[in-house]
Amino acid sequence: MLPDNAGYAYAAYAAAITVFTVYAVSVWWRGRALAARIRRASDGPRTGTSSRAD
Amino acid sequence: MGAIAGTERSPRLDASGGLLFGGGPEGDAARGAALRQLSRPFGWLAWVAVVAFIGDCVRIAYFTPIEASQGPAQKIFYIHVPAAITALYLAFALMAVASVLYLWLRDPKLDRVAECAAEVGLAFTTIVLVTGPLWAKPVWGTWWSGDARLTSTLFLWLIILAYLILRQAVEDRAQRARYSAVLAILAGLLIPFIHLSVYLFRTLHPQPIVLKPSAPSLPSEMLTTLMISFATFVLLFVALLRARYRLATIADLVEDGASSGRAD
Repeated sequence: MLPDNAGYAYAAYAAAITVFTVYAVSVWWRGRALAARIRRASDGPRTGTSSRAD
Repeated sequence: MGAIAGTERSPRLDASGGLLFGGGPEGDAARGAALRQLSRPFGWLAWVAVVAFIGDCVRIAYFTPIEASQGPAQKIFYIHVPAAITALYLAFALMAVASVLYLWLRDPKLDRVAECAAEVGLAFTTIVLVTGPLWAKPVWGTWWSGDARLTSTLFLWLIILAYLILRQAVEDRAQRARYSAVLAILAGLLIPFIHLSVYLFRTLHPQPIVLKPSAPSLPSEMLTTLMISFATFVLLFVALLRARYRLATIADLVEDGASSGRAD
């Protein structure tokens, strides 16, 4: 008779998916923050504000 | 993983301190390319990797036999082992080799590759360290054992974490790259030790069943699933590394621009 321990396997797969997702979101989030920084810096001269004010 | 088209040129700061990738239409095009890449950091390869991962999970769940003595928990094997192999022999090996080459050639791209490989490798090692105890509990009867394989893997995880923290702490780019390259090489020296730890010490952790001189000790169906999982994890690694490298390239350009602005 097989041991009843499928819960551990489900938990492991859920953990792996969570780690991948969290890491991918962190890359996306940092990219978004960097894009915002570039936009602010390049808009600076047109609006008369400096990026260093951020 | 090559240079990002349109962004590998010297940025400069304009008179008001605004960061630019260059003046005129070329600068606008470079900035546009950078912003496009930042808005879609992952690209088609990541979607291929996600589809492969879903397909892999389906194969593991429905088309791979359950091991008789360990039960369904043995299926953790198909993520634990590929994650470990990808982290140790791909990510951290790449980090160490890129760091050695950086100290030799002083090319900032190599430092960037090392940083990105370390970060992605840390994510994979986290999966190893989380799935390991979840497999150990039903099979060994304990979540953790202080044996050489487990402890040295945890130690490597901490060193890579320290490596990434060190990178945040040193402001000067060349100094940061040099210090972190040394730490990365030292971390890389742990890889053969971790691999051999199950032979050198008495451990609860089993000896390799695939990466060993003789033939893999697995039934063919399980071996096929393991190979598919390994290919999937390599795809995931390449997709994440590619996205992270793009981000690092653009971040370095912005940092260069900010530094030259401070120096003015």
